[in-house]
Amino acid sequence: MDHLSSNAVRSARPAILGFAGVLFFLVIWQIIPALGLIDPTYFPNATDTLTQLAKDLGTASLWKDIADTLIAWGLGLAIATVLAVTFGTVIGLVPFLRRATHTTVEFLRPIPSVALIPLAILLYGFRLQAALLIIVYASFWQVFVQALYGVADVDSVARDTARSFGLTRSQRFRSLVFPTALPYLITGIRLAAAVALILTITAQMFIGTPGIGRSIIFAQQGANWVEVYALVVVTGVLGLLVNIVFRAIERRVLRWHESVRGEELL
Amino acid sequence: MKKVAATALAGVVALALAACSSSPTPTETTGSPTPAPVDTNTSTPMETFDVRVAALPIAETGALWAAIDEGIFAKHGINIEIVPAQGGAQAIPALLSGDIQFAIGQPFGPFRADAQDLGVVIIGDYADSLKTGKDVNAVVALNSSGIDGPADLAGKSVSVNSLGAAGDVTIMKAVEDAGGDPKSVKFVEAPFPEVPAQLDAKNIDAGWVPDPFMSIVAGGAGHIVVHPYQATIPGLSVLTNITLQDTIDKNPALVAQYSAAMKEALTWASSNEDAVRAALVKNLEIPEEAAAGITLPTFTFDLNVDDLKQLADLAVGYGVLEAAPNFDRLIKQQ
Repeated sequence: MDHLSSNAVRSARPAILGFAGVLFFLVIWQIIPALGLIDPTYFPNATDTLTQLAKDLGTASLWKDIADTLIAWGLGLAIATVLAVTFGTVIGLVPFLRRATHTTVEFLRPIPSVALIPLAILLYGFRLQAALLIIVYASFWQVFVQALYGVADVDSVARDTARSFGLTRSQRFRSLVFPTALPYLITGIRLAAAVALILTITAQMFIGTPGIGRSIIFAQQGANWVEVYALVVVTGVLGLLVNIVFRAIERRVLRWHESVRGEELL
Repeated sequence: MKKVAATALAGVVALALAACSSSPTPTETTGSPTPAPVDTNTSTPMETFDVRVAALPIAETGALWAAIDEGIFAKHGINIEIVPAQGGAQAIPALLSGDIQFAIGQPFGPFRADAQDLGVVIIGDYADSLKTGKDVNAVVALNSSGIDGPADLAGKSVSVNSLGAAGDVTIMKAVEDAGGDPKSVKFVEAPFPEVPAQLDAKNIDAGWVPDPFMSIVAGGAGHIVVHPYQATIPGLSVLTNITLQDTIDKNPALVAQYSAAMKEALTWASSNEDAVRAALVKNLEIPEEAAAGITLPTFTFDLNVDDLKQLADLAVGYGVLEAAPNFDRLIKQQ
């Protein structure tokens, strides 16, 4: 019984801590403009911002913005994932290709996606495709690099064993390469999901495709600071939800994996 | 080999993106719009065009939104869609990509494009600064800054929204005319919405802004130092209608109908300011009180080319432009 109650406390602890963290953050937010550390005109306090947000939640335009943002994000992440898993697997499995592309990958990877905005507009104009180019470019590398290392990480003893047992190429892929790469891929996709969301908002701000990012710019142009921060809160909440969803997927897909099993033992 | 892989990757990304597009080939650079699908009947006297126009999300665009609601563009067979793009510099790549057919932008974009002979032309005016009274933009400073007139800007840091354009050029001229050293002004780039906060934080000494920011500073702890347009080239064009020479050549009917519509829209807007302000509240989410106080420009389609030449000459004089643009090539008033 002692064991049970301590378990209940343990499982509730992250939620309590999370709630306390949010509360602490809100208090700090409320205090900063009140103390005049930042002029409240340009940085509205938490209550004003959340009141505005509550008002916005009753409007169709905010939900349209959220939908547009999630659509661009989802499309971008899906395209990036498919491309990255395909290329990462092929290149990762062929040592020759890996060596041949290594320098190029390390050259392309650090290029900030935002720097490609003029190119994206030149190719696609102020359209969703331009935003997708920016989103896909940034999130591609997250998954690609994980896929690359994931498929190459197969335990050599396991590989030799599979060979000596005469497993076919597809059997080896299914029961050896895939399970080895999966934790890498899931991590990559979770990181890519966050990066894709950041770049979705950025693209909307600077390319002008509809969504939360564009509305932030509009509110700035109208000197409507409360609205700016209300929308910023929305992006934060979206980021949080994306992370929660992908953590859940990770736990489900990798429940057999020691990293996840280990977490539950703690 | 590496290059091939990189190119292939870029190609695949581009293809994947193109695949999810329902629009015509995005890399098409003809700039010709797709006629509305309903309008395949050649017996119709006036063709209907689907047109995408880039405009900045600023107060001036209110005239366009209001005129669209008024049905002026529809009347001229222009099915217009406003693309509220941030940053005028990006309008030209978008024109070249064929995504948009027209752009409303500051004349400096076309000036620079002309230097590279990109085939960008100005087909008409859009909005002018005001010759007298409170102008549409100003250099503002805090009352405590000790900056009272343009001569005091010498040696100070002054923000403009983009360096090397009409803002810093006219400010330098205003400083020079007031007896200050124009070269000593330290220009920095700051988006308009940031200026009030940057002034308060003392990160800049003065900033160049339009409304609502001009009124926010002047109505608070600051004041207007100078209206640089009015002080140097009174009535100077703020925004112009921009397209490609290629569009004029290949699609004269489109350009003629668009120009007729724009002309009527701007004339209508100049005598219907209330509708323009209402459109701002609706489209830009500017609070109603703020929209009421915004200084609106003179809306007109008639370019004053001499003003633009004067602006280009000033820019050359201050080393902002290497050479004046070829105005015969650049200006195609419709």
